[in-house]
Amino acid sequence: MEFRTETADGQLVVTLSEMLTFDDHESFRGVVTAIVDSDAETAVLDLSGLTMIDSAGIGMLLLANDRSAKQGKTLRLRGVQGHVAKVVELSRLEQLIPID
Amino acid sequence: MLKSPHNPVRTIEDDDITSARILVVDDLESSRRLIGAVLEQAGFRHLDFAEDGPTALERMAHKPDMVVLDIVMPGLDGFQVCQRIRAELSREIPILMQTGMQEDDYRVRAFDAGASDIVSKPIDAGELVSRVRLHLERRRMMSSLQVYRRRMEEDLRVAQAMQQSLLKPAGEIEAIVKPRRAGLSTFYRASNTLGGDLWQVFPVDETRFGLFMVDLSGHGVSAAINAFRVHMLAAGMSDLADQPGAWMEALNRALVDMLPVEQFATGFYGLVDVPGGVMQYAAAASPSPLHYRADGSWTALDASGLLLGCDARAVYPVRQCPLGAGDRVFVYSDALYENFRNPTAALDTPQLADVVGTALTGGADFQSALLQRLFGSADAHVDDDLTWLLLEAGA
Repeated sequence: MEFRTETADGQLVVTLSEMLTFDDHESFRGVVTAIVDSDAETAVLDLSGLTMIDSAGIGMLLLANDRSAKQGKTLRLRGVQGHVAKVVELSRLEQLIPID
Repeated sequence: MLKSPHNPVRTIEDDDITSARILVVDDLESSRRLIGAVLEQAGFRHLDFAEDGPTALERMAHKPDMVVLDIVMPGLDGFQVCQRIRAELSREIPILMQTGMQEDDYRVRAFDAGASDIVSKPIDAGELVSRVRLHLERRRMMSSLQVYRRRMEEDLRVAQAMQQSLLKPAGEIEAIVKPRRAGLSTFYRASNTLGGDLWQVFPVDETRFGLFMVDLSGHGVSAAINAFRVHMLAAGMSDLADQPGAWMEALNRALVDMLPVEQFATGFYGLVDVPGGVMQYAAAASPSPLHYRADGSWTALDASGLLLGCDARAVYPVRQCPLGAGDRVFVYSDALYENFRNPTAALDTPQLADVVGTALTGGADFQSALLQRLFGSADAHVDDDLTWLLLEAGA
């Protein structure tokens, strides 16, 4: 997984690409840190560049959501498509993390 | 000229190292005495000596922890002794060969013969002691790692057997499902000794039985421990066995308390009623079970639902799957169709339904046929825990 961050209109946008799987625990820590360190009250994870996600990857999204909520921040997902959309739909993830 | 060895601060570890048995092989008595004196001064108490190759090989019977070996000796030289130790006696024992600086290719030949390290002649006391200690310490670390690894492997084997024992054997399954006019075959293979998949089947009343399959996120020991806990939880939920939705909600609430935020589970619970012609089920993000009707047509059951263990308020609706005579329902974990090594090779539901359908109608053994079709061989290693249940409604 690769990610880049930008702040626009008071929102932190983190764009993820490639696969989000068990091997990405280390690199995903950077995503969580970026959200926690940001001044923005809303963080958006843009998943349009993600090709696949496994159960560990879903776990990372849940973790990011939890860390955001504990800081009084809102996490949103956007750009959900392909394999990621199937997993999200099956797991009703939108009930846990709002999806644009 | 002999330099004095370092004068290290003595510790408990030093005492342990200096109790090592060292075999010194050299044809010159003066060399043996010199090396012996250096090692003794460094605290090594168990020294043994050999003046030629054959004697050295004999003294190996006393199981030294390390050998300091001269190269140039009449008869069997150091290279040959080293090769024979490696070939016949020990691949692990550290062998320190003494080479003269003027003989450049000796250094290469020493390593080719299997030497662990070389020490230059004339002997520098500090260098000799440092290298001896280094190799003994490394050897000791390797041994303790090997012991640790063997113990871990043994532990994992025991745990694997325990996990396997949670799963009912075919005879027990048959005793439950056959009187209730059904057949059930099962498959489970963990990705790395221990897994986070669990299934279970149990009678509910005279005509109905319950079956569930739960897949805990992650692999290995932590997922397996959670699988054990789910097994315990489920055993205490038998009063809900005839209410799939309530059963799933109770499991969910327990998992919310049990699992850390980034862990969750997916699950399927079916209440099978063949005489009533229906399976009621509740599902939590489980891969869509495939329903094959007796006429060969199939439907993917809706098994979407909130992940287990994330939100205590989650509600799991009860859904219905009609179950006619000869119908089959295939419930499986996501390892069956996902392929993270080669994402484009992942199967969508129609493709999977086609492969499973072909294996079902092939006449041959379903399990081998399916594994062969999906993984290329019946005993293929799987990247994720792989489980399936195949339910057949009898007449």
